[in-house]
Amino acid sequence: MPTETEETMRCVGLQVSYGGVPAVDDLDLTVRPGEVLAVLGASGSGKSTLLHAVAGLVQPSSGEIWLGGRLVATARRSTPPERRDVGLVFQDFALWPHLSAVDTVAYPLRRAGRNRHDARTVAQRLLDQLDIGHLAERRPAELSGGQQQRVGLARALARSPRLFLLDEPTAHLDTHLRAAFQSCVRDRQAATGAAAVYATHDAGEALALADRVALVVDGRLQQVATPEVVYAEPVSVATAVLTGSCTVLQARVAVAPRGGLSVDLGDGPVIVDGGGSLEVDPVQARVLLRPDWVSVDGPLRGRVTTCQFRGTHTDYLLDTGSGPVHVQAPGPPTHAVGQALTWGIRRAWVLGVDEPDVREAVGPQPSAVIAPG
Amino acid sequence: MAEPAITHRARIVPRGEQALAAVTVLAIVGLVVVPLTRLTWVAVGGGGSSIMRVLRAPGFGTAAAHSLELAVLVPLLAVPLGTGIALLLRRPDVPGRGGLRVLVVLPLLIPQFVLGYSWTQAYGRAGFTDDLVGVRWTGLNGPAGIVVVLVVDAAPICYLLNTVGLATRAQPQLELAARASGATGWTALRTVTLPLLRPVLAAEFVLTFVATLESFAAPQVLGTPVGYSTVTTRLYTDLAFGSDPNSFRDAVTLALGLVLVAAVILVPADLVLAPRLGSRRTRQSPGGTALRRRSAGTAIMAGLVGAYAAFAVLLPTIALVAAALTRAIGLAPTPSNWTFDNFRAALDAPTRSAFAHSLQLAVLAAFALTLLGAVLAALERHRPGRLLGTVAMLSFAVPGSALAVGLLIAYDRRLGGTLTLILLAYLAKFWALAHRTVSGAVDRLPAGEWQAARTSGAGPIAAVRTVWLPALAPALIGAWLLVFVSALHEVTMSSLLYSTGSETIAVAVLNSQELGSIGTTAALSVTLTAVLLAVVAPAWLLLRLTARRRDIPAARRRELAHAY
Repeated sequence: MPTETEETMRCVGLQVSYGGVPAVDDLDLTVRPGEVLAVLGASGSGKSTLLHAVAGLVQPSSGEIWLGGRLVATARRSTPPERRDVGLVFQDFALWPHLSAVDTVAYPLRRAGRNRHDARTVAQRLLDQLDIGHLAERRPAELSGGQQQRVGLARALARSPRLFLLDEPTAHLDTHLRAAFQSCVRDRQAATGAAAVYATHDAGEALALADRVALVVDGRLQQVATPEVVYAEPVSVATAVLTGSCTVLQARVAVAPRGGLSVDLGDGPVIVDGGGSLEVDPVQARVLLRPDWVSVDGPLRGRVTTCQFRGTHTDYLLDTGSGPVHVQAPGPPTHAVGQALTWGIRRAWVLGVDEPDVREAVGPQPSAVIAPG
Repeated sequence: MAEPAITHRARIVPRGEQALAAVTVLAIVGLVVVPLTRLTWVAVGGGGSSIMRVLRAPGFGTAAAHSLELAVLVPLLAVPLGTGIALLLRRPDVPGRGGLRVLVVLPLLIPQFVLGYSWTQAYGRAGFTDDLVGVRWTGLNGPAGIVVVLVVDAAPICYLLNTVGLATRAQPQLELAARASGATGWTALRTVTLPLLRPVLAAEFVLTFVATLESFAAPQVLGTPVGYSTVTTRLYTDLAFGSDPNSFRDAVTLALGLVLVAAVILVPADLVLAPRLGSRRTRQSPGGTALRRRSAGTAIMAGLVGAYAAFAVLLPTIALVAAALTRAIGLAPTPSNWTFDNFRAALDAPTRSAFAHSLQLAVLAAFALTLLGAVLAALERHRPGRLLGTVAMLSFAVPGSALAVGLLIAYDRRLGGTLTLILLAYLAKFWALAHRTVSGAVDRLPAGEWQAARTSGAGPIAAVRTVWLPALAPALIGAWLLVFVSALHEVTMSSLLYSTGSETIAVAVLNSQELGSIGTTAALSVTLTAVLLAVVAPAWLLLRLTARRRDIPAARRRELAHAY
């Protein structure tokens, strides 16, 4: 299947199985030149398998992988990893214990045929750019987690590939290191103009970094869209949960005559922003609410069940007539636990046809509120 | 058992432990220090003249040269063989991997003298291939045959050490990182895997060198009939057949020489390698898998490993069984010529009691050393205990022949020719095996588990029973098995220490082989191997079960594989 506009990466009907169990199934995905695509999914959802398949570390059981217009993997044949134009950053760093930082980064350059002195010079420059030039002669055991991960990134950069694959690179890093690493990745990626696939289970990371986000549940691709769209217009509860906390309620919905949605939770209709699949049963629709789409004070009634001060805002869990609702209010707590209050909805999203397996997991009970992760 | 040091800072070593330490010190002194001191005393007592006589004796130079040539050649072949097999069988996509793994380690169960003998039955004159297709290997009796049999004997150990080394030092992930950095499979092997494995390879080389130096069974079975002698076979001849008092002193001098050569190699090797052998694990995920790409090369190499196992282990074993079942030499091993007469003849009263002796010794030694090994591992948690551990380790390096001669000098008057003396020899020689197995597991015990048990309300004894014992069970069973198998295999020391009424089965097989009764020897060898299999197979299963309980459950493993 030749591609017209040269995509940096394209997976077609990709399936990867371990011992007959598919870890990635029926996956179609493209990455355009210069784009950052975040693959967001829970651990065990097949993100790493996808990246390893693209890098050539596992072979698909069916489907195709194309890199830069070149077919590199099918179930029959597979281009070995060293002949694919990708740079992989491993989740657990995978640094070689016997090599110093500078030798580690020089490794891909040596394999590309550069002489030792040249390779080490370039490697030293890369380490300098990542602010770890002074650690060049240290071995992995003498480096902190954040430093190790930077060496891993520098090693991938040294290959100067057209596509970076980052496999949960911040999973083992502290929060402050994570932010530093993310901006470092973004800068380097912008500077090289290469595309990047960034696998993560951290919603904040995916939404902040990516041009587009691909949501993966149980090895299957659910939705690919911009960060704003995957957050505001999820296709299912399972994908909504991936991008942040949410509440699902049963409600009577209709398109309001003058735009927006009419949502009736039992206390009479309220007109809100939003949209969604309106071809479903308007009497028993499932309405998704984000904590930042609802507010304390409004036409609806509820009672505070829990209240947690988070510094920048306060998280309330409300007991309402239609079920528990998660509300995020700016500032310190204004209501105590047990206190009655009123609340309002600014925006709502109507979910499409149900997903039996997910509904059970999320349920009508308080588990419908998924704490911000 | 030791408490965390912080709670008992006042008492450095608790009183119960002092008693245990005293027993351990006594045991080590009695088993190792006294015999070796007496050995040195007697050898040096003869003065320089005795040493010169040994050095000038006809054939000594040749024997020493032979020993050295074997000790260098065997590791040069066995280490690469074991490494290659371990590297190949690590790949998850190798067809028939499970079966190949079992076949490759199978020679561990087969005593060296049975292995050597089964090779003569398979490839020697009037052997299996000679009968069937008229092909025989004339070099089998002689240095080439000894080298090959010793390599087949040593390869499984090298393979196992490499498997452990690869798992702890050169995780597949690191090789994948090399591939993703542009290295071909061979380059990744050369630049990442082998450098990481280097200390393990060096340790295997030293281990195989020393094991070959002290090997007795293969040179005796394959070399002695054609007059190819090594230091160990010469020592045996001096002691067993030498009537003149000088020959005893010669044997003692030879024994001391063996100790010195082993020490000269081992001490520096240990100093250099020990610090490098600690695992330098950086953060790694538990589910690392090797590259998954189907290729024809893998199948071909798997075929080669299979062919090796068939040629080196399976065919000789079949030949041995055929020889045991066939009515007379020269007859084709077909069902019409089958008989159990050989087994009937082999299992006469003396051999039955030899069997009983061996089983008795092996079981006693296994239980005693599992206990002593555990005690020593516990003592090692304090500084003085570590010295004891080192001494036990060194005793393993003392060549069996030398240890036996030392014990003979020290205790012959009271225990000469008794099973007790043989038991002492086993205890001295195999203590290190049990100790290393248990102390390795003790080292890996996470301190948190013990502390969590204590803060959850368990007393020291309850904590040992509920937290440590389950964790150490596989190591304890492993130590028991290792000693049991080694004791049944043992022939070097037994052949020097036995007398009428205290033969072990290994000695019975060796004697029967020297008498040239092929059918009987084969039948005895088959029975011995079957007994080993009958004990080890269920114990091995038990070991797998206890080990699995602490392992990641299958469901979680699948999840991890996915996450991967």
